[in-house]
Amino acid sequence: MAYTIGIDVGGTFTDIVVSTPDGRTVVAKAATTPADQSDGVLDGIALAAERLGLSATALLGTTARIVHGTTAATNALLEGKSARVGMLTTEGHRDVIEMREGLKPERYNLRMAPPVPLVRRGLRLSVRERMRGDGSVETPLDRASLNAAIDHLAREDVPAVAICFLHAWRNPAHEIEAAAAVRARLPNAYVTTSSDVLPQIKEFERFSTTVANAAVGPVIENYLGRLSRRLADAGYGGELLVILSHGGVASVAEAIRLAAGTALSGPAGGVAAAVALAREGVARNLIAFDMGGTSTDIALVRDGAPTLSDGKTVGGARIALPSLDIVTLGAGGGSLGKIDKAGLLAVGPESAGADPGPACYGLGGTSPAVTDANLVLGYLDPTNFLGGRRTLDADASAAAVTRLADALGVGVADAAGGIHRLVNTRMADGVRVATVRRGVDPRGFTLLAFGGAAGLHVTAVAAELGIARVVVPVAASVLSAWGMLNTDLRVELTRSQGQLRGIDMAMLARSYAEMEREGRERLSWFDGEVVVRRSADMRYGEQVFEIAVPLDDVAQDGASIEEAFHRAHEALYTYALRDQDVVLVNARLSVIGRLPPAAAGGMGTVGAAPASAKGTRRVHLGGWTDIPVYDFAALAADQTVRGPAIVESDTTTVLLRAGNVGRFDARGWLDVTVQDGATP
Amino acid sequence: MTDPITVAVLQNRLNAIAEEMGEAMLRTAYSQILNSSRDFSIALIDARCRLVAQADHIPVHVGAMPWAAKANAERFPNPSPGDIYLLNDPYRGGSHLPDLTIFVPVFAPAADGTPNGGQLMFWSVNRAHHSDIGGATHGAYNPAATEIWHEGLRLPPIRLTENGVLREDLLEMLALNVRHPRDFRGDLAAQIGSAKLGEQRLNAVIAEFGATVLAESIDAMLDAAERHARGTVATWADGDYYGEAVLDDDGFGKTDIVIRARVTKKGSDVTVDLTESDPQVTGFVNSSHANTQSAVSMAFAFLLDPDITKNEGAFRPLKVVLKEGTIVWAREGAPVTMCTSHCSNEIIEAIIVALAPACPERAMGGWGRRMRIALNGTDPRTGRRFIWHMFQARPGGGGSVAGDGYSTIGEWHSAGGIKFGSIEVAETRFPLVFETHEYRPGSAGDGAHRGGYGGDMRLRVEATGNCVANTAGEGVVHGARGILGGSDGAPHDYTLLAPDAAPRKLKTKEINVPVPTGSVIHVLSGGGGGWGDPAKRDQADRDADRREGLLT
Repeated sequence: MAYTIGIDVGGTFTDIVVSTPDGRTVVAKAATTPADQSDGVLDGIALAAERLGLSATALLGTTARIVHGTTAATNALLEGKSARVGMLTTEGHRDVIEMREGLKPERYNLRMAPPVPLVRRGLRLSVRERMRGDGSVETPLDRASLNAAIDHLAREDVPAVAICFLHAWRNPAHEIEAAAAVRARLPNAYVTTSSDVLPQIKEFERFSTTVANAAVGPVIENYLGRLSRRLADAGYGGELLVILSHGGVASVAEAIRLAAGTALSGPAGGVAAAVALAREGVARNLIAFDMGGTSTDIALVRDGAPTLSDGKTVGGARIALPSLDIVTLGAGGGSLGKIDKAGLLAVGPESAGADPGPACYGLGGTSPAVTDANLVLGYLDPTNFLGGRRTLDADASAAAVTRLADALGVGVADAAGGIHRLVNTRMADGVRVATVRRGVDPRGFTLLAFGGAAGLHVTAVAAELGIARVVVPVAASVLSAWGMLNTDLRVELTRSQGQLRGIDMAMLARSYAEMEREGRERLSWFDGEVVVRRSADMRYGEQVFEIAVPLDDVAQDGASIEEAFHRAHEALYTYALRDQDVVLVNARLSVIGRLPPAAAGGMGTVGAAPASAKGTRRVHLGGWTDIPVYDFAALAADQTVRGPAIVESDTTTVLLRAGNVGRFDARGWLDVTVQDGATP
Repeated sequence: MTDPITVAVLQNRLNAIAEEMGEAMLRTAYSQILNSSRDFSIALIDARCRLVAQADHIPVHVGAMPWAAKANAERFPNPSPGDIYLLNDPYRGGSHLPDLTIFVPVFAPAADGTPNGGQLMFWSVNRAHHSDIGGATHGAYNPAATEIWHEGLRLPPIRLTENGVLREDLLEMLALNVRHPRDFRGDLAAQIGSAKLGEQRLNAVIAEFGATVLAESIDAMLDAAERHARGTVATWADGDYYGEAVLDDDGFGKTDIVIRARVTKKGSDVTVDLTESDPQVTGFVNSSHANTQSAVSMAFAFLLDPDITKNEGAFRPLKVVLKEGTIVWAREGAPVTMCTSHCSNEIIEAIIVALAPACPERAMGGWGRRMRIALNGTDPRTGRRFIWHMFQARPGGGGSVAGDGYSTIGEWHSAGGIKFGSIEVAETRFPLVFETHEYRPGSAGDGAHRGGYGGDMRLRVEATGNCVANTAGEGVVHGARGILGGSDGAPHDYTLLAPDAAPRKLKTKEINVPVPTGSVIHVLSGGGGGWGDPAKRDQADRDADRREGLLT
């Protein structure tokens, strides 16, 4: 037996979770070091080792697995610090990534500058070649035009090259030939092709993803290369694994090849934790609700499995790789209350961020943030924020909220209550986006709260949506890092089929065989159990939205596959159209390498006997009232706490409202029943 | 008096209901124009026919919805719970025939608390553009129409239900009069589903907050939006302004049709007078009354803050003066199908041009005109007939204070809301090869901030079986207008290059143009209008355009 380590690098803190051979979980938090995130990672590991009474070298020397979530790619895209990319593309089509299919956000905003593409037009170089939709060659690859384009790239000295040809999803021969020529001339460049990154029909999504891959490839290569070396130097002899946007993990080499696939590496750990808690028995159907300082991530776990989407837009770049379906709301504890131009109270989209932060941080913030409102309402203990490592300035909060209250002509508590209620409504709408608008009724789900701020809002959000049960883990603030210890190795593959109608079974069988061979090859270094899952994206002839249909338990013949689609359509939209043409657009295959999960046990302490309240606090819940405060760490197994009450630990505060009943589950979470008619 | 916090919470809740109705529509609609191009809109309208909440879909619909609700309420002053209403006639509250509007009434609880049993509170409304509405040609757009009966089936406000049950006989009659009855029924069902969802959600809000609090809060949120709008308008320079925009022709020999906007801005009020516009014409570029009201609202909204809550209050500062018999308000019987694009685009442009000197930081250069092509032929790979609608090679958008315009983004009336889709998918599904689909260098109107570029598309048609093209649109003669000293964008230039034939320029309103196998349609679409004096353009921006190969 050996240690396993999960590392989650967030905006402010780097969280380290160590699972010990005897089933304990040890947690450490270090400051994130934006210039080189690997500094913070090594600081955190040293701190965790200290808590275990070990040296960092001794800990790393007996560690079997490290799983890492990184925001390096996301930050590079958001901050415009990605690599300069040269693009080779089919002659006559060099504006695909900038045209964005003719779409623009914000329908009524006609005073908007267009987004700057990741590759400027002058570096999008035409190559004379053309494939047809059936894979036949319309125009052979012209070596003279290819060489001229590569000369241009050499002169520009680009560190990364994206090769994007039309219909390469069907026939990649020209891309492969061009990539070989580029690698020969530019041996140090990061070279990537659209047929390797996303062999899928629809050129905007494929090209945009490939260009994003080239833009973050060198960034990820540098960062993960450096981190691997530093961990090896510090004594680690195992494989560094990286969690990807689809929630599975991969080796460093694979994360570099598919660098754009790390775009959701940060929030993926949270979803992995929700999946692991579903397996632990929390519930089969969960809504993961991760409320941070500037944003809130919401994701569904259905029947124990995460939900995937067909991509994500990060910093204006469309990345169409299979990704966890995470709805990100631009609102969190740092969102600022204000009076909008219509004279109504509004919250956000402005945020106080980490610096200056809410007024109560005392770093110069003067506008009231959600956290300030919560402090004014008495929900937070100013002396026990982050386990007492930071003291909150309640007077500064009161002053900030008072200014807003005066402008609105209402009392201070009413203004604070208004901010609190409004952000709850925004959060509830975010959950609606993740559920109702995807055809899912949230009322059968359990709302799983994590992130430091969620516990104050989550029961009100549940009440507004008619959700009866809320779970708040005691380790809510480091749950993402813990989740990383509970994932599997995963390779997601896809091949577009592209028939006009019907299913070409020979082509489909060939695609699955090819994908399985490729996936197993990518996991050839792994000696554990490997399983394979098949599915297909299908639709009716004239529709535009495809449905993912699992095919593992379906006979591999056209009629059975079509019938599986009709049934899936019926289940989703209440009807099937059995007289219509069925189109199988993409074949998908997941190759999964099973890793042993970390134990959930030991996430918190369990009191021997039911704890009484450690005191009372004056809070505003419609009116001012004194309510009991319980120490989360002292609660005994199955102890119940009736709202109104507060349950708090160093890093997590839970507000139980009238009608809420919390029960402490010894496995490490507060299980809250939200009764009908509870105060929203 | 309701408290400002409840008002804010309720405004968020009502907007969320409209969004959810839109999402339900998107996921359940059958035809491509709805589920891909999203040509539908949602509105919640109160018992006084005031727009309370809407979802941002197609801007040209939304200002028209209260007029439709008024026409319906006048015809059916005493609706009952469970009723569903429908209309499309442009002379009875509609905009043009393919837009079908569904209304579901929502009521306060009865005195004894029974939900939906009391006074009328809302209309839950869904408007959607159907792919066919009968008439002389497929797909509703008929450049040869000289009267509305050539354009399709006319529906005054009608009740689709009897005692709360849909009248199957009536639905059959409607479906019998359109070319794709299955799509028609499917899309209509999706519309009804979306409006009924709005009814359910509104009932829940009424139950939670009470009808009185809700009604008072709505008054407060409309007043708030009015304050926001007036606060903006008050910052514009007072004065009497004039602007015009010109349509190429009506397809029947009448050319250079002028929209004339006299705009008076005083304090926080704006009056738009279009009465001097040219008389109505023979072809289908005439506008219906509701469509013109909507186009004027859209122009006004484009000059306000984009995040203003689009409800009745936001439009209170605006007064519209129209005269029947003009191109912007055709007399009953005239064809109007093109009007949601043209002359809507020209109405918007005339108003923006007029107000540009009053609020130069808010006005924007002209956005492109729509010129559509539909091909009807046989796919030699399958032997099946096909119809293909061109959405590629879109025109450019206008420059603004924020910077240069978006390239290949579309027109004023859709404003970047319609996706042209994948060329790879189009080539797989249709016998077409897109030899070129790129920006059209030199097409943008110059300015301190230039317009966006139009497109350059060479489309090779491999269809057989007497393939023919229809066109419908505008902008071959008149390009998108530059403002405040900026230049106009280049107009469209479409050419048919048939094998062994001389190049043939395509006009904007043609039907049954033969397109033999191997023909190339060369589309050069218009650029957007420039904003501000070209002499003030940054040299660095000019150098960048040259470096990126965007100048000719």
